[in-house]
Amino acid sequence: MELTGSEILWRCLKAEGVKEIFGIPGGAIIHAYDYLHSETEIRHILVRHEQAAAHAADGYARASGRPGVCITTSGPGATNLVTGILNAYMDSSPVVAISGQVSTNLLGMDAFQEADMLSIMLPITKHNFIVQRVEDLPKIIRLAFLISMNGRPGPVHVDLPRNIQSAKADVEIPAKVELNKYIRLDPKPYEILQAVNLIVKSERPVIMAGGGVIISGASPEITELAELLGAPVVTTLMGKGAIPEAHPLSLGMLGMHGRMAANLAVSECDLLLAVGVRFSDRSTGDVRYFAPKARIIHIDIDPVELGKIVKPDVAIRGDAKRVLRALIQALSSRWQKGRTEEWGKKIQQMKRELAPRMDYDNVPLKPQRVIKDINEVLDTVDAIVVTEVGQCEMWAAHFYRIQKPRHFIASGGLGTMGFGFPASMGAKVAKPNHVVVNIAGDGSFLMNSQELATCVVNNIAVVNCIFNNRYLGMVKQWQDLFFGKRRSQTYLGQSPDFVKLAEAYGAWGDRVERPGEIKEKLKLAIESGKPAVLDIVIDPDEHVLPMVPAGGRLDQMLT
Amino acid sequence: MKTRIFSILCENVPGVMMRISRCFTRRQINIDSITVGIEPSGLARVILSFQADDHTTEHLRKVLERLIPIVNVEIIDPEKAAVREISLLKTRRLDDREVIDFIQKLEQKSGRVLEINDGVVIAELSGEHSKVEETVKELSPYLKEVARSGQVYLSKE
Repeated sequence: MELTGSEILWRCLKAEGVKEIFGIPGGAIIHAYDYLHSETEIRHILVRHEQAAAHAADGYARASGRPGVCITTSGPGATNLVTGILNAYMDSSPVVAISGQVSTNLLGMDAFQEADMLSIMLPITKHNFIVQRVEDLPKIIRLAFLISMNGRPGPVHVDLPRNIQSAKADVEIPAKVELNKYIRLDPKPYEILQAVNLIVKSERPVIMAGGGVIISGASPEITELAELLGAPVVTTLMGKGAIPEAHPLSLGMLGMHGRMAANLAVSECDLLLAVGVRFSDRSTGDVRYFAPKARIIHIDIDPVELGKIVKPDVAIRGDAKRVLRALIQALSSRWQKGRTEEWGKKIQQMKRELAPRMDYDNVPLKPQRVIKDINEVLDTVDAIVVTEVGQCEMWAAHFYRIQKPRHFIASGGLGTMGFGFPASMGAKVAKPNHVVVNIAGDGSFLMNSQELATCVVNNIAVVNCIFNNRYLGMVKQWQDLFFGKRRSQTYLGQSPDFVKLAEAYGAWGDRVERPGEIKEKLKLAIESGKPAVLDIVIDPDEHVLPMVPAGGRLDQMLT
Repeated sequence: MKTRIFSILCENVPGVMMRISRCFTRRQINIDSITVGIEPSGLARVILSFQADDHTTEHLRKVLERLIPIVNVEIIDPEKAAVREISLLKTRRLDDREVIDFIQKLEQKSGRVLEINDGVVIAELSGEHSKVEETVKELSPYLKEVARSGQVYLSKE
């Protein structure tokens, strides 16, 4: 049967199991949207800025583990995706982005709303396509989804010219294609043997878990291995939730704004088992002094990461879950119980002595206290926590205790302000029965606050907790610490009134100024069942501490 | 820093050169030479040379192999490879005496005349990069235009 490109597109998306999609129509994608008008199986969420569509798809993917999909028109619609797509690329998130393009006969003619998206998306996607013939569309959509999820996930962009959407073809859906890229999932026996030989000799092992553990679904294996070895677990920002942070062996996040006990454990350990991490400079500090006493085993599915920053003693290529299973099996007969008893005592002592203080009663509020109260409320409802970028993100990453994988979503590699709100929108759409809370700063929130309209119109009840200090807080912190307290262009002024802003959109809004109000008002916000904004007025002079200055050593933190 | 040679087998599709070259651009590495040929299978063989240290070379190899249209990347050791570069030469308008001198010098270097038209000689020259370089320099008083292929490598192993 002959179908138009538009019909083919939606049928292909349905064949991939797509139920929700974020986007904005426009001239070059109008044929596709025309067919969507009579589509009943796919829920389209009309966002208010294309950047939000990309972040929402990203948040959807991270919360669900399935590809998130966004769709826009050509030119500005497509270029507005760029930040969101790069953000997904940096954090290995499977996003499939589709944008309209001018008709193929106008390509390269500087036509209205033409942008060379093939070139623009090329360096920031795992792969990208332009559809030249309508017959190729089923194959390209199938490949886009396969590539986004194959091995290390990432975004894929499909540029879809206008005339292809209206052209007709008789095609098979889904197309039968296979990827030419073979990704090795299982480790080689000698890799496991080499790793086990190192592990059984260690007395002070530490496990460093990254985003790869979450993606692979290897959290149970991380916990099992930690318990078997008596090894503490530190996580990267992307790895938060890899082990329940209430677990006695969890030391929390390491790195620039990591927990002191986590950074010291890495600096003291004699064996570092790094799983699904890429040794970002925010995690390692000065690499020359990173885990200086340790033999290093690095497990990753992407061979590019092995040896890129840190040269491991043993590199294991494979899927984290399968590699950890193989290690646990091999170690169960060879590991001598009790080897790490001393180390375990020391770790527990460090954990006790270096536990951060959170029980402040100050007004204006201390962010530590706010996180503590939010944490206590959300622990009872299995919430997904999303963050914006900057101080708010680091307070959440440092102090909040996450108990499950895919329950903490933050912009890691790119550090994109404006990510949190649309990403939490995406997470809420993917997981409608979960409470989704965006821990935001006032600066970040304003970068995509227009999405309050999207949330109100589409009944997406995300709760925004705005840590409002009226500053671009993290930049201000660096100015305070390293630039003689010259707060150049970081004060944002006393506008807007966030409660009124929320109400103007038809969202629930309230202000929190005293310690006693946090829990009560957060509960009210959740119970309102509406998109909500909590304007939490915090101490504008509070820094995120402890801190490893950029390029500094993990064992030398500012406190 | 040593001369490195990659022999890249990839799909013959638009944009593949850009996908490859940007991996070098991003790391501020200059590509010294690049040649492309289509294999009997229909896949393209891209051979390129550049200067880099061991770590960067291995990293680049893995980055390139990760690209979807790339099938594999081999590192060719220049010591164990046959190398050729081809040059096409066009002289200015020469008088009869100069034509004879030019052809003599060219043939001493194993060059070959392709055609002579009204005192303008078109010739070809091939060999190792340094030899071609040297000959072109020597013949430069006669020359108006030179087109060079870049270096083509074939692993002997």
